[in-house]
Amino acid sequence: MLLEKKVIEKILDAGMATGADFAETFVEENYHNNYQLVSGQIEKANGSKSFGIGIRLALGLQSVYGYTNSQNPDDMVNLAADLAKSFDKEEKTTRNPLMKLEIGTRHQVQRAPRDVPQEEKAALMKKAYRAAKNYDEVIKQVAVNLKDSEQEVLIANSEGRYVTEKRYRVRIFINAIAGGNGIMQTGAEGPGSGKGYEFFDNDIDVEEEAISAAKIAKKMLEAEECPSGIMPVIINNKFGGVIFHEACGHSLEATSVAKNASVFCGKMGQQVAAPIVTAIDDGTIENAWGSANYDDEGYPQRRRVLIENGILKSYMTDFIDARRMKCGITGSSRRESYKFAPTSRMSNTFIDNGASTFEEIIANTKYGLFAAKMGGGSVNPGTGDFNFAVSEGYIIRDGKIAEPVRGASLVGNGADILWKIDMIANNLKRAEGMCGSISGSIPADVGQPTIRVSSMTVGGKKEDK
Amino acid sequence: MMSFDNLFTRAKEKGFDDVQIFLTGNRDLSIEVFEGETEKYEIADTTSLTIKATKDGKMVTFVTEVINDSEIEFIVDEMLKNVEIITSTDKSEIYAGDPEYQKMTGMYNKELEDMDVKEKIDIAKNLDELIQHEDPKVKTVESQYGESSRTILLQNTKGLKLTDHLNSGYLGASVIVNDGKDQRTNFDAIISNDFVDFQPKELSAEIVKTAVDSLGAKPVPSKKYPIVFDRNATSILLSAFMQIFSAENVQKDMSLLKGKLETRIGSEKVNIADDPFRKKSSLSRSFDDEGVATKYKMLVENGILKTYLHNLKTAKKDGVKSTGNGFRGSVDATNFTLLPGDKTKEELIGSLQEGLYIIEVQGAHAGANPVSGDFSLQAMGFVIRDGKQAEPVALITVASNFIDFLTNIEDVANDIKTTIYGITCPSVKVRPLSVSGL
Repeated sequence: MLLEKKVIEKILDAGMATGADFAETFVEENYHNNYQLVSGQIEKANGSKSFGIGIRLALGLQSVYGYTNSQNPDDMVNLAADLAKSFDKEEKTTRNPLMKLEIGTRHQVQRAPRDVPQEEKAALMKKAYRAAKNYDEVIKQVAVNLKDSEQEVLIANSEGRYVTEKRYRVRIFINAIAGGNGIMQTGAEGPGSGKGYEFFDNDIDVEEEAISAAKIAKKMLEAEECPSGIMPVIINNKFGGVIFHEACGHSLEATSVAKNASVFCGKMGQQVAAPIVTAIDDGTIENAWGSANYDDEGYPQRRRVLIENGILKSYMTDFIDARRMKCGITGSSRRESYKFAPTSRMSNTFIDNGASTFEEIIANTKYGLFAAKMGGGSVNPGTGDFNFAVSEGYIIRDGKIAEPVRGASLVGNGADILWKIDMIANNLKRAEGMCGSISGSIPADVGQPTIRVSSMTVGGKKEDK
Repeated sequence: MMSFDNLFTRAKEKGFDDVQIFLTGNRDLSIEVFEGETEKYEIADTTSLTIKATKDGKMVTFVTEVINDSEIEFIVDEMLKNVEIITSTDKSEIYAGDPEYQKMTGMYNKELEDMDVKEKIDIAKNLDELIQHEDPKVKTVESQYGESSRTILLQNTKGLKLTDHLNSGYLGASVIVNDGKDQRTNFDAIISNDFVDFQPKELSAEIVKTAVDSLGAKPVPSKKYPIVFDRNATSILLSAFMQIFSAENVQKDMSLLKGKLETRIGSEKVNIADDPFRKKSSLSRSFDDEGVATKYKMLVENGILKTYLHNLKTAKKDGVKSTGNGFRGSVDATNFTLLPGDKTKEELIGSLQEGLYIIEVQGAHAGANPVSGDFSLQAMGFVIRDGKQAEPVALITVASNFIDFLTNIEDVANDIKTTIYGITCPSVKVRPLSVSGL
């Protein structure tokens, strides 16, 4: 029990003393570990424990938020009273009694980080290190980071909502650096999960992941600079989905839609993408990196079809933005920790399988860029303009994957690119990432099958002959 | 509350050689105004305790927000478990202290913290209103006022005890403008701990003018252009590559500056300092997180790399003294500063017949590689024609290598500013770089 029910009731009551029509508490305890191995040696083995409470009050569209990590219930009640000073109605609002909601967790964990011996964690990192380092002599450096966390939350609000949840996460990050001829190139893999350490036993092979990171670094070392220009771009599955996440997903979050700051405003039910495009945000996938039983406002996570056959079907909304937009809540509210007021965010977002195969897409492209692996990117939600780095790229020539190229970036516009997707393969896969926005940095899956964009601006450094 | 003496005693009893605590207390305020109303009002009061302990030269860290005596046993046991798996042969130590520490002035302004919150809400509302009326093309405004105050206590078993107290505020706004054909955004902010520095009128005019001027922005043909980067764009680039100066990255083969000490990495015009004493900056400090006295130092002098940034561990490895840059368990700059020149930004633009004036670059966290130095970033700005700012440009990428960028800096302006990216720098003029657009 993170905090006694009667303390929570006191906080909610203090918050509603001046007429707020909504009050919420988010109590959190987070225990996490962070291990780092560089040059074959374990250099860091750090632990941390955080505890705090975030209190939110709202009146209409106006909301106030405060947080403290004092463990003293009086400080929490005082914080709620301080926040209540933002409203000045004479009358106290009455709230619904707290009713515990229990839907049973979908995300079972077998080996919680706390139960796994340090030696096993150390061995896992060393295994990854050796596999990457021994891949080839051009691999000069390998860094391995292992992170695990156990987050316990208790969310309650004045509508009577009262939920608790424990969320586990593990992730290993392998970064290989290849060097030669005065240049260095990197390759990285970072698989993670909403499982415990059984993820490393059953779901992935860290050696394979490490070799993949080393392979990319070596390939990119041998690669030439990418040419620039407008060309067809084939974006591979898995982390290639970052393009949809950044360029379209963020613009479908109520955070930008409610404020008229999205290119998708007022487009519900309209064609916003090529008819072959179906895109989904699903926070219920079992033990996925971006899944949870409840969102951070205490509503059950859901599967949301955002775009179906090119038609805009749903935004992602949270409590306050749903009020602003006069629409329903989609269970999309998330936050990094108690230090952030929650807002609408993605969970596991992906473009759904299409009718083509990977081979058909390559074979049907005379000349273009194959972005085998994407790096990160960013987007301006107001305009939809985006920028992505390609961390592993190849030129496509006469329907075949030809020479590797490095330093490429993809530039475009989110709303525009959705129309230019002209082929979608049937090899959907997801990959883990951290997504940063106003409610902090949160784990989120991106994903897609291999897709082709008929034309896109590719930025590179190769000089024009 | 936790007794640190009890913690020190228990940790030593259980086998640690030395222990250090780093306690920070933060008070934060954040106000957002949207369409004339206070949309967000956030207050926070948090305390965080970072404990470092060494055993046989191996160091572990535990961070906790649960700061009371009943946690001591748990924390010491967790640290003991962790220290056992460390294999690094680099010796870490807890620092006994320096003979002298800079006396800091102008870092904490009590007046700012004590000021009625209503005045702070009002200035954000005022900025919002000014922007709304600046131009009919203004569609959406969001203005913000934020403030944070920080107290720091460092104490260890070697008898060192140090404190710092800082505060800082910012006033900023983002705007969306639309002329029926195109939509553009802009954001800018002022950072200071002196309320007088927050001038909503100038800020409003600047934010809106740039956004409106950008309407109708289009790509330019792909080729090499000489470029003037304004101070915001320059600061984004510098912040993306700042970590290459860290000796930790150099020693781990993760920096392109390896082996480059006392060699040329930039043009004569490039002078970069790390300034821990910059007034009104929340990044200023008299001691780092390891207790080492901070100092002003030149990283790059007339284009020559003079030093890396060191903490105790990296300094020991290189046989030098720590530069007082041991922050957050790693190595970090304080106020990373590209020193100004004497020309105005307008003079830099005026010196170009044909070129680009870039006001924003995006995607620095992904499109800039600190190991190889390569970057390829989406950029926005204006064409420069006959020495004047002409039509707006967007959806282009500027690609180069960070060393090439520094080497090609032909001139540095005098318009130095601390940006929200935590970098203090002026605008710069750079010889032709590859631009890809049409």
